[in-house]
Amino acid sequence: MEGMKAEIKEMLQGIERYNPDKVSTLEHYVNLQARERGYDLEANLALLKLYQFMPDMYKLDVVAQILLLSLTNLPHTDIVLCKAMLTQDILHDDKIKTILYLSELLEMCQFKTFWEEINKHQALTGCVVGFEDAIRKFVCHVISITYQTIEDKVLRELLGLVDENAIRKWTDLYGWNIDGSFVYLASQEEIIKTRNITEKVDLESVASIMASCY
Amino acid sequence: MYSDEEYAEDEYSYGHHDQYSNQYDREHMVPDKVKKVMSYMQDMIADRNINELNTLYETSIPELTEQYYKTCEWPEFEEIANYVRADPVFHNLYKELYYRHLYARVPGSLHLEQRLESYWNYCELFNYIISAESPVMLELPNQWLWEIIDEFIYQFQSFSQYRAKMAKKSEAEIDTLKRNTKTWSVHSILSVLHHLVDKSNINKQLEVYNNQGNSEEIQDVAGEFGRHSLYKMLGYFSLVGLLRLHSLLGDYYQAIKVLENIELNKNSQHSKVPGCQITISYYVGFAYMMMRRYADAIRTFSNSLLYIQKTKQNFQTKSYQNDQINKQTDQMYMLLAICLVLHPQRIDESLQTTLREKQFADKMNKMQRGDIKEFESCFMSACPKFVSPVAPPFDSPEAHLEPAKLQLQVFMEEVEQQQMLPTIRSYLKLYTTMPLEKLAGFVDIKDEEFRNYLLAFKHKMQNVVWTKGTSGLEGEFQSGSEVDFYIDKNMIHIADTKVARRYGDFFIRQIHKFAELNRNLRDE
Repeated sequence: MEGMKAEIKEMLQGIERYNPDKVSTLEHYVNLQARERGYDLEANLALLKLYQFMPDMYKLDVVAQILLLSLTNLPHTDIVLCKAMLTQDILHDDKIKTILYLSELLEMCQFKTFWEEINKHQALTGCVVGFEDAIRKFVCHVISITYQTIEDKVLRELLGLVDENAIRKWTDLYGWNIDGSFVYLASQEEIIKTRNITEKVDLESVASIMASCY
Repeated sequence: MYSDEEYAEDEYSYGHHDQYSNQYDREHMVPDKVKKVMSYMQDMIADRNINELNTLYETSIPELTEQYYKTCEWPEFEEIANYVRADPVFHNLYKELYYRHLYARVPGSLHLEQRLESYWNYCELFNYIISAESPVMLELPNQWLWEIIDEFIYQFQSFSQYRAKMAKKSEAEIDTLKRNTKTWSVHSILSVLHHLVDKSNINKQLEVYNNQGNSEEIQDVAGEFGRHSLYKMLGYFSLVGLLRLHSLLGDYYQAIKVLENIELNKNSQHSKVPGCQITISYYVGFAYMMMRRYADAIRTFSNSLLYIQKTKQNFQTKSYQNDQINKQTDQMYMLLAICLVLHPQRIDESLQTTLREKQFADKMNKMQRGDIKEFESCFMSACPKFVSPVAPPFDSPEAHLEPAKLQLQVFMEEVEQQQMLPTIRSYLKLYTTMPLEKLAGFVDIKDEEFRNYLLAFKHKMQNVVWTKGTSGLEGEFQSGSEVDFYIDKNMIHIADTKVARRYGDFFIRQIHKFAELNRNLRDE
């Protein structure tokens, strides 16, 4: 994938990116990203743009893959960028609607529902290797900015995991400490403190005024 | 047989005589002033006299328009042809002005053939500049060059919307459209803009400039064409043209990417054309908003609106550029209002005041209370006129509304996902610590659901914010909320940021204002 990355970057310079001949290369690259846990937003957007210019050429499966790949980059808003370049026809397709529904669950942080739903759509999401782990990374990110200490059963629910060992993998990855039935993340007290911003008037601002008083 | 005289009469028969007399009348109808100005303009272009051209372009021509052509077309080129030398470039430039005026002042009478002719005129002009083997000896004021590019994109936008309105097309029009599919195609626009960018090496020039390179180094990378002001400025304005084009097509990422060598956050003006700067701010801010980078959008709009407030008197005279600037200013205020609802944050006092004066406070209140219709109407009045890059099938009557509908939908989905935030924020502001179950009870939601809302609050309030570097796409995740919290087991700990009122600053400003008023009165 690394080799192709450089080649694609070169190809996207200047006006060549609008050349219809590039479509199959970009489609192949999307496939590669899905298989090898890679991700290249710019290349995927370039392909969506070519589809936009030549609606006869678009392949629904590739669009589905691009949307799923953009979800692996949460919390970035890549899926919004992709949506803005589609059409009503594509958006009404069932597969795409499912993916957009899943993305909405994620954006609203309804993680428990998400894991329930995703079990029903393994075939769809299975086309991107490591999709579920990428989502778990996002869930851990949101948890780490919200919680200082979290109940371990809540953590399990949010991560969609049942197995103790599976949880351990994630707590180890982020350096979280398991303390009985709670998991301690990190101290938030320093980051989240009430602040009082008071006004400071410095001498320069009033100097001219004071000078003109006599 | 016919006598000489009679034969002579026949030569100048009815039809013939009329043609000559019409020509004579039409030339006679063109005021002398106009003929003189046109001839003078041609001379100044040949002499490359930028100062005179500036005056002609910014003063003389608008004055003539106001006086003679306020609500009708300028003379056709043929009507002034006898008063200027034969010169294809002047012909192109004149026609560009002619069509621009047509679009601006008499759009109702615009028909398909004129749209096509204007396109071919642009092709000739750009071809002349781009395909030249060595740099063409043409120099025009920056304002003029900017408006050529801006108008070029505007006419593309106008044509795309015209083409998509299938309902009222006549057979003849549809036929002409079918025979001219390449005219005003998105590919040809992209081709022109990219060629101008490449020819001038503008990106390399900007890179060297950003790395504190001196003018020699810049000349080096500029290359044979880029050294000339015409090519350099057309290259620069084409970057802005690409920003606008990509925004119209919904590609916000690429829109900001093309400006990656222009430092958007410094007030360095490469072009000194206010219309260009304001256009940049409008489209960049809009793209940021669609990407949920609200802090960046607010900063972009604020900087631009403050600049416009300070230079307001420059935009009072009537002209197309000022009309456009004033319109974009209002749109930016609207977008700023929307962003402030979604991402409350402090802004400059003077902007707060203006928002109140311009009646935005009412709209903002409605949006804060979750009024979906208000969001929709504000968005639609402030957003760009989106277009589709392809011609719709000839039998779909609503096709011209599709692009805007899509962008509205994308935006409203974001708004709906964030609907709970104002409520949560207002409850958080009331306490410093509170058990999760209790707060959930106050808001009347189940614990688990409330917990999801808290997570979502954190997620949505942490967005990418630009911190450094030239590319507007760069940035880090930062929490934008003044009210923040964390959860410890089941207890929510809330932190608020209280900002004291800046009385000192207010008094200092008023004192300075009053002193200046005093001085002005004394001087009179």
